[in-house]
Amino acid sequence: MSETTFMGVERNKIDWKPTIDYTKCDYCMECTKFCPHKVFEVNDTEEIKLIVKNPNNCVVFCRACSKICGPDALSFPDKNATTQRIKEIRKEENNG
Amino acid sequence: MVENYAVLPCNGLDKCAGAISREIAIKLCENTKNEIICPVFYRVADAKYNKIAAERPLIVIDGCPTRCASKLAAEKNLKISQKILITEEAKNHNIELNSGLSLQENENALIEIILNELNITDEKTVQVSDKTLVSINFDYETLQHGKFIFRVPKNPEVYYNENDCWAWVTGNRARIGVTDFVQQNLSDILYFTPPEIGAEIDQFGEVGDIESSKALVALISPVSGKVIAINEMLEQKPEMINENPYELGWVAEIELSDFESDKELLIGFDKYFELMKKKVEGSNG
Repeated sequence: MSETTFMGVERNKIDWKPTIDYTKCDYCMECTKFCPHKVFEVNDTEEIKLIVKNPNNCVVFCRACSKICGPDALSFPDKNATTQRIKEIRKEENNG
Repeated sequence: MVENYAVLPCNGLDKCAGAISREIAIKLCENTKNEIICPVFYRVADAKYNKIAAERPLIVIDGCPTRCASKLAAEKNLKISQKILITEEAKNHNIELNSGLSLQENENALIEIILNELNITDEKTVQVSDKTLVSINFDYETLQHGKFIFRVPKNPEVYYNENDCWAWVTGNRARIGVTDFVQQNLSDILYFTPPEIGAEIDQFGEVGDIESSKALVALISPVSGKVIAINEMLEQKPEMINENPYELGWVAEIELSDFESDKELLIGFDKYFELMKKKVEGSNG
């Protein structure tokens, strides 16, 4: 159910996705169970068992997975900077 | 004093925060009429606790955001009166927890702080804000998808963000909440964590958490400004968000700081209804 645009801006132009801190992640995989947008992917056979596979599926401004992360291993970009960037892109595109 | 509660700690021996939740539960129940529900025992043999769980107000103490105790409460259909998340309390009080399970100086300090706060909260009388906006009956458009009905207010003074939250703007204030799309996706809402009155919120900042047995979502504010009122009824009846997330289950009122700028990234009824329709069709096949 991922949208291709957010506020009229192409989703892939917006930097909003979780970053996994592998020094904290204990591979409990609660985030993959929780996120309905298939942002994460589990690779049981790899050394790094969890990756952000589909960053553009991540709902802009949603940080719900970080709130349910027991070891506090997920972080997101600065919200105000993202808001500002969306406004800039909209302006650029309207002027272009 | 916190009296006559049932106390459900996570009791987790996976992290220090779990050991703290256990210690707080013990201290809350020593020499009082509060009673601990042991989560391990409760999961395998609930008969022992069903009576107190059903009859008493419930305090849930989660150690970490995995929220095992909350999930157990949801599994057992328990209504939660108060919730504590130890790792969040530690952050709020700038206390670093150790990586082991033993309780040392920092952990004991946090335990004292939380116990004091619990007692103060319990004694606090609820103040009803006189600043609350008057009630309004919205004019709705309805979308039916299978057995689910999604209503969306059509009123021109209601704005939406693409995170499925609404703002009813009147003068320099806005009442905000989530749309039917959020509450239908969450299913039965069990707990609402309100924002602090007086908190300054950025546009797209978080204004409270809504939790169901399925998930936890933050309300992402469509507007920026200061929280001047919260819907106090939600603390006792969070299920009102399911019943009607607009007139009854609104979340907070905001004194607007820059609505002209906020408006750039908001949409009106027409666009939101179309967007929600796509999401509904996408999420339910």
